[in-house]
Amino acid sequence: MKNLRDVWSSRFMHYIGEVQKYMQFIFTGHIAIVLVFLVGAGGYQYSEWLKIVEADFPAEPLIALIIGVLLAFSRPTTLLREPDQVYLLPLESKMSQYFKKALTWTFWSQVWIVAIVYIVSIPLLKAVTELTTVGIWAVFFLIVVLKYISVQGEFNYRYSERGHFIWVDRLVRAVVFGVTMYFALQTKLILALIAAVIGCAYIAVFRKKSVGQPVAYEHFVKLEQNRMMSFYRFANYFTDVPHLRGSIRRRAWLDWLYKFVPYTKGNTQKYLVFRTFVRTDDHFYLWLRLTVISAVIAAFVDIPVVTWIVAGALSFATTIQLKQALLSSGEFRMDMLYPLPENARNIAVKQVVRIAMITQAIIVGLSGVTQPMFYVTFIIVIIVSELTAKMSKS
Amino acid sequence: MSVLELQQVTGGYTRKPVIKELSFTIEKGELVGLIGLNGAGKSTTIKHIIGTMLPKEGDIRLNGVTLQEDTDKYRSAFSYIPETPVLYDELTLREHLALTAMAYGLDEASLAARSEVLLKEFRMEKRLNWFPSHFSKGMRQKVMIMCAFLVNPSLYIIDEPFVGLDPLGIQSLLDQMDEKKKEGASILMSTHILSTAEKHCDRIILLHEGRVRAQGTMADLRRAFGMPQATLDDLYIAMTKERDHEELA
Repeated sequence: MKNLRDVWSSRFMHYIGEVQKYMQFIFTGHIAIVLVFLVGAGGYQYSEWLKIVEADFPAEPLIALIIGVLLAFSRPTTLLREPDQVYLLPLESKMSQYFKKALTWTFWSQVWIVAIVYIVSIPLLKAVTELTTVGIWAVFFLIVVLKYISVQGEFNYRYSERGHFIWVDRLVRAVVFGVTMYFALQTKLILALIAAVIGCAYIAVFRKKSVGQPVAYEHFVKLEQNRMMSFYRFANYFTDVPHLRGSIRRRAWLDWLYKFVPYTKGNTQKYLVFRTFVRTDDHFYLWLRLTVISAVIAAFVDIPVVTWIVAGALSFATTIQLKQALLSSGEFRMDMLYPLPENARNIAVKQVVRIAMITQAIIVGLSGVTQPMFYVTFIIVIIVSELTAKMSKS
Repeated sequence: MSVLELQQVTGGYTRKPVIKELSFTIEKGELVGLIGLNGAGKSTTIKHIIGTMLPKEGDIRLNGVTLQEDTDKYRSAFSYIPETPVLYDELTLREHLALTAMAYGLDEASLAARSEVLLKEFRMEKRLNWFPSHFSKGMRQKVMIMCAFLVNPSLYIIDEPFVGLDPLGIQSLLDQMDEKKKEGASILMSTHILSTAEKHCDRIILLHEGRVRAQGTMADLRRAFGMPQATLDDLYIAMTKERDHEELA
């Protein structure tokens, strides 16, 4: 690697590859379909509401507040790693090259969020304010500039203060940028300009303070680890992320369930698999999430066929994912040595999945109890699950 | 009949074997030490014995049967303590003990009686409802040891048992091993702590580059190396030096 710009480039390629790898699962997963429905329903509701919105609706302060808060959240993406604190130490004085690249990416990867929110609010602005089209797009441009400044601001604050009291910094930026936005939307340009200058001055203070300070490696590495961790955790809802060890919770309120697996040699694997299912967040929340989605649709959608299709699809998704998750056996486990029949684990997984799916069927069936033929949903969940369990490979 | 018998066992991960034509036996009530450098094939040998790897050639018999002949009998015949503790993150200490007892067909009364003794011995009574994430490395090792000694197999296979244990833990483990030996069980233990091995093992198997370089009692080994006063450390170093000479020649 010739210089720090190359270091950034190779990091960046790796990062994008990693994100892409999991994104494809996210956009093909069941949640994506639910999101499309939600966005569609939300959009429809919004357009209906715009027809009846009153002229004195406080659009400017509301949009200024939302945009201000969104601008304030400008967490830098540095892609720094733990070994950097050792290996990049001799290059300390040249790190600004690296951070320049990092902040450019941070800006482009975040600006679209606030841009989309503003664009969505444009019909509202047109409906209740007197802003001209030019004025609206001038504010859009202002938002992009403010976002750029905010990214620099948060980075410099974190750098000079090592991330301590970051929420105070965010609050200050949210207020200053929110006020700037408010005046801009009211076309009080002088006041907006003053607010923006105050914001820049505030940021300049920390920029000056960070000059000559050593790179806050520890803070930035921690930040990166948290960011990647939350991304992996999110991706894990859709697919199996290998380097993510599911967290464990006791869920003592479910302890009574274990009484149904009595102490016998034949129940050894069931004893284990049942606890694995209940206590591993990944498995348990997978089941809970899909059950809740299915139940909500059964309760609120009036078209029986839709309810049945969704319940069937989610029963299939729950069964197959749960079965694979509980059967996966990459690592060595002590029960591989137990003097038990070869297929003991398979049988136990099948039984536990069946219990989970009967519970899902009951919950979904009861949720639709006000609808006609709600018991059909119950039967569909059971049949689809049984067929899936039988047909999928063990 | 020997408790464990390896006959001309060859095996490894790829086509190139890690262990070559390995033959040795362990008799009833014997404590045998498996000694060798890093990479000599100790762990691979153990993996073959516990059945997570299958030999490419040769036979491994436990109480007279191979794994293929009678899986249940083979698996019930031993318990295993791995070098790095392997625990279930989602089970408490109490549940680890219960799971092991269920798998090996112990009734609930014996589970209660035996775990009480073991928990006291390893000073873990107060941690019955803890999850492994709260355990130190040594405590995790103790959970493995307790699970292994909870059941009464013919053979205990213990991989590097003393690493990570505090002195009291080491003493408790040695006591347990002694007790089981007196009851007629056999133990195969791989270790680098040579002074302990010399003191406690009835026989030593010196493994080098996947082959048995020498085996027998301390007296046998001293004779084989022509070093009548030697400790096991001396013999171990002599074995490695010998190899270096061969390489230079």
